[in-house]
Amino acid sequence: MNATFALFRLAYRNAIACVAVAAIALSTAACGGSADTDGVGAQNGSFKVALLTPGPITDQAWNAGAYAGLVAIKDSLGASISHIQTRTPAEFEENFRQYGAQGYALVIGHGFEFQDAAMRVAPDYPNTVFVCTSGNTTGPNLAGMNFAFEEASYQAGMIAGQLTKTGTIGAIGGQELPPVRASFIAFERGAKLTNPDVNVLVSYLGTWDDVSAGKEQTLAQVARGADIVFQNADAAGLGIFAAARERNVLTFGANANQNDIAPEHIIGSVYIDLPKALMSVARDVQGGTFTSTIYQFGLRANVVSLVINPRLADRIPPALLARVDSVGNAIREGRFSEMNDVLQPADRRQDSAAGTP
Amino acid sequence: MNMLLDGFIAPLDDFLAASVRTATPLALAALGECVTERSGVINIGLEGSIICGALAATIAAGSVGVSVGFAAGLTAGLLVTVLFALFTVYLRADQIITGTAITLLSLGLTGLLYKSVYGSTGVGLTTPTTSAVEVPLLSSIPLVGRALFAQPLVTYALYLLVPAMAWWFFRTHGGLALRAVGESPDAAMAAGVQPRRVQALAVLFGGAMAGLAGATLVLAQSGTFVENMSAGKGFIAIAIVVLGRWTPFGVAGAALLFGAASALQYLFQSLGWNAVPYQLFLVLPYVLTLIVLARASGRTAAPAALARRELTLG
Repeated sequence: MNATFALFRLAYRNAIACVAVAAIALSTAACGGSADTDGVGAQNGSFKVALLTPGPITDQAWNAGAYAGLVAIKDSLGASISHIQTRTPAEFEENFRQYGAQGYALVIGHGFEFQDAAMRVAPDYPNTVFVCTSGNTTGPNLAGMNFAFEEASYQAGMIAGQLTKTGTIGAIGGQELPPVRASFIAFERGAKLTNPDVNVLVSYLGTWDDVSAGKEQTLAQVARGADIVFQNADAAGLGIFAAARERNVLTFGANANQNDIAPEHIIGSVYIDLPKALMSVARDVQGGTFTSTIYQFGLRANVVSLVINPRLADRIPPALLARVDSVGNAIREGRFSEMNDVLQPADRRQDSAAGTP
Repeated sequence: MNMLLDGFIAPLDDFLAASVRTATPLALAALGECVTERSGVINIGLEGSIICGALAATIAAGSVGVSVGFAAGLTAGLLVTVLFALFTVYLRADQIITGTAITLLSLGLTGLLYKSVYGSTGVGLTTPTTSAVEVPLLSSIPLVGRALFAQPLVTYALYLLVPAMAWWFFRTHGGLALRAVGESPDAAMAAGVQPRRVQALAVLFGGAMAGLAGATLVLAQSGTFVENMSAGKGFIAIAIVVLGRWTPFGVAGAALLFGAASALQYLFQSLGWNAVPYQLFLVLPYVLTLIVLARASGRTAAPAALARRELTLG
């Protein structure tokens, strides 16, 4: 009798404890790090847009830009929006399904890594348009969005090649995704254009979050003589800036205009105007003019650009700047073939004119 | 010849320094967890204490100063484990489930707090950091001098802590009581030790150390806070405790090994040796841990009562 009671009490207490902690955890995870739903916006909930990011929107880079785009869609198109931060491929698919089931008109997976999940889910929710940034596959309700990050990376490389005093420059990426690799190849070619003997070190962190890994990897490259470090590592990139400050080397911003984060050490940012790109797709979907395609955004669409940090602009000789600009013009006019083998096949098509259907 | 030597020594020097830097937060968290596990509690929520420590350190250092930042990190880590201690030690909830919940809670909570303090898209913060302090004479020892003795103060604290902890574990009544509770709470109780109190204190100590590890990540290394910046270090620390066979010196050595594996990967990539994939170096310490575990399967060093839910068998 006594034993039964003790057992019962034990089981009861454990159940309460576990449920309580789990409930707190889940509710906080749901409203905190993982998802925030700004369910204001459109009346009648007619036009609903969702964004999935692979990292925190506080990264001042890739994810922050997309979130700014989502907010722009709410403000300009009156959409009701939802954002969720996801971690694993299993979550990508689950979240895609959730949004599809809730009747979202447009669901944006922000990054190459979302593509497989989108391909699996899209056929099950024909009334929802799925778009993957950096994606290169299409379906009836599935589109890709290609940023020619390589074009501005090439320009950044031209500057790095000429400005290096040691003859060694570096590039550090988060994970070795095809778009990241392609942009590093472009960076290297740009550098070799202005400095054929330049030595380029390329490293990957295997993470987008680990700031200390970003810093250590940069210190390792600097120790090997690199005095300019290009990066594409999202939140971990903040560690690269920390190392640049500590060792007084130059670096580049990526994805967003990061020039103000380390104004004395960032020469310029390879900028993607994510709000502009996401807006143009959202407009197509809202206006019923969406066609399955791979949206092309590069220098020509004025979505990708190299934004020079005005505080360090005097370090770039005018002749070099002129050369960088002329390469930019050649790219815009389709006269530039140096990177045809680097760019993903779809890249060679014409840029979509941002904002027009 | 000299040039060749320089070409070899210089990278080695950087590599050793990077190993110690990377190992420092891991060792702090792992030594704390070592104490916790010796009391028979496994705290999977370590990751949560680290990330909370990192955020608290960021906020405090930004508004007051670096030393207050370290204190804030330690306190935050401790507060997180108060919750863990309450559920596992006093309510005897499942340790693994509670720990997992605490980690999720902390990762979510820090993201939420960070956004509410610094705005929804963050700010790319720069917090003040401690700089390395060179120990005179010792730092000029060839090869290892700079690696071991040109480090931030928190690393030196670690050098003192490891032998102190080893002495306390095996030479004092307190250490004996701790180990007794982890091996056999019944016997400890019969000897007049209060297992719950010992476990609670051990858990809180582990949390404080993990919070300090989080503060170190921000204040002695990256100088900024990023959501999820703990990046699995809490779980790595748990593996380190296993590899270190639950002894302070073993844990310190294992932490250094994990640090060295990361540093080796940084070095190889920066040397352009990309023939071997960098991921291989990242899994190296885990493979080692598995080997150690497999070899020791017959005669385990783990505390006998580890992760046991019922305190007494009666």
